[in-house]
Amino acid sequence: MKKIICFVLISMLAVSCKDDDTLETTSIEISFANKINSQNIELNTGVYQTTLGESYSINELKYIISNISFIQEDGKIFTYPVEDSYFLIDEEVPSSKIISLENIPVANYKKIEFGIGVDQSNYPLNGVDNFVPTAQESQMLWSWSAGYIFFKIEGEYSSTGDQPDDDFLFHIGSHGTNLDNYKTVELSSDFGFDFTENTLVSIEADLSKLFNAVYDIRIEDKPDIQVDPVNAPKIAENASQLFSSVPLNSTE
Amino acid sequence: MSKVFLFLVLILCFACSGDENTYVEISENKKLDFPQPDFFPQPVYNLEENPPTEKGFELGKKLFYDGKLSSTGVISCGFCHVQEFSFTHHTHEVSHGVDGALGTRNAQPLMNLAYFEEFSWDGAAQHLDSFSIIPITTDTEMNETVSNVINKLKSDQVYSELFAEAFNNGEVNTQNMFRALSQFMVMMVSADTKYDKVLEGNSVFSEEESAGLSLFEAKCASCHKGILFTDQSYRNNGLSIDPRYNDIGRERVTGLEEDKYKFKVPTLRNIAVSLPYMHDGRFQSLKEVLDHYDSGVEPTQNLDPSLQQENNLGISLTETEKNQLISFLKTLTDDNFLLDRRFSEF
Repeated sequence: MKKIICFVLISMLAVSCKDDDTLETTSIEISFANKINSQNIELNTGVYQTTLGESYSINELKYIISNISFIQEDGKIFTYPVEDSYFLIDEEVPSSKIISLENIPVANYKKIEFGIGVDQSNYPLNGVDNFVPTAQESQMLWSWSAGYIFFKIEGEYSSTGDQPDDDFLFHIGSHGTNLDNYKTVELSSDFGFDFTENTLVSIEADLSKLFNAVYDIRIEDKPDIQVDPVNAPKIAENASQLFSSVPLNSTE
Repeated sequence: MSKVFLFLVLILCFACSGDENTYVEISENKKLDFPQPDFFPQPVYNLEENPPTEKGFELGKKLFYDGKLSSTGVISCGFCHVQEFSFTHHTHEVSHGVDGALGTRNAQPLMNLAYFEEFSWDGAAQHLDSFSIIPITTDTEMNETVSNVINKLKSDQVYSELFAEAFNNGEVNTQNMFRALSQFMVMMVSADTKYDKVLEGNSVFSEEESAGLSLFEAKCASCHKGILFTDQSYRNNGLSIDPRYNDIGRERVTGLEEDKYKFKVPTLRNIAVSLPYMHDGRFQSLKEVLDHYDSGVEPTQNLDPSLQQENNLGISLTETEKNQLISFLKTLTDDNFLLDRRFSEF
């Protein structure tokens, strides 16, 4: 009897400290490649065409990636800790385009979900305030509104499709509590995100879609879009359609 | 046998508590009691998420009065928010910042902030914890970057210790800095006025104050509503547009034409000491404010409907009525709050 009790207790002891069966974790990297016509963007010098016949160049391209989560085939979700889940992608800074995440449970995920911008339910809570210095240094903060700029593109355009020489700028964020321009993106992949095999995820953003994904944008109609309740949501919606996951060997 | 059993059960109890054991209990950092007044609504600020503590409050107060938060090292929050004047920039129409720079708006009083949903004249901040970004980074105010502030605090031994004592993770970071400032500010509850004493049955209004109260309820309380004396809405009260600022008000936050020239209806608690008045501090006395409502209202875009009834602009008031209203408004001054040593710089 004594032996049995001891055995039971010891075996309880042995298993009692295991959370569950997915203890194994890994670090992963997600790369973002900003492209137009399958080519990497050339800041300042590249000239591109919209489907409405305008031409444009890009001097600055920045956006906030947030709230990353990984979803398995059976719907099981792993959400990366919110306070560590804010990243600034800056086309000009190569290192910013590779996001490193730690302690991801090893599994074969079917989908990746992330946000563009900062969701209101988390701002300024859950440590999101700690992203303020980064955002401010990169001019991704509207100081007068205490809010983040989620997506920023600046450049020049020509309404006739010639050499661009008129300025345009889109600064998209939420307008107080009136209008929430935070968007989520869900990427699935036929080949999966199998972290048992490799730990790299490659995401491409096709910037040409910013002008036509859901809404056709004629830059000349409103070349300066900031706190604009009519046009900012259209840009935000288009921006949420830029992304796709690509097989690793096609990233170059 | 029973001893062995007990022993094993004990081991079992402790087996999984490894994480908790590394937690350092901060026993000396006492939680502060939030002074909820009887007649007030429930706080909007989430006091459980960021409970004011002795050390957090002390840290917040030190930050509030520290010029380190500005680029020149001399402009603190307290520079424009002076306690005796209900934490406003007394006698300054618009607030001054670094190197004598002039802002475009009048510093708002700080009190009862736990009950407010949005902050600043146009509601630009939706949470008290994020409000401080605005004065710290605005070029005509403290003109500093949040990164610089954090670096300055990190290199200061006293701050490192205070952050360590005030917060569980002990880090000198943006969130903890803003949370400490909020802890200091949410404790600023002002509810000890003659008005409150009358409500409690411990005082009575004079005849003139009573007459003022009746007028107030009839002519002012639709906007300056309830125990906080504001419905927290944004309205255009018919001020002429000052071409120096051409301040579009709430439109800057929402981008909506219908919000042009609208500003937050201010609380009237401690109004007698928080001059000058209006978002740009254009009026120096309550008499001037009432004169405006009586005869100065202009039909600018989005003028509030309550100020344009039956083709009459404003709120008509006789001189006697104005005096009665002013007598009533003076019952909203809370001397104990204005002199409360817990909030004072020295």
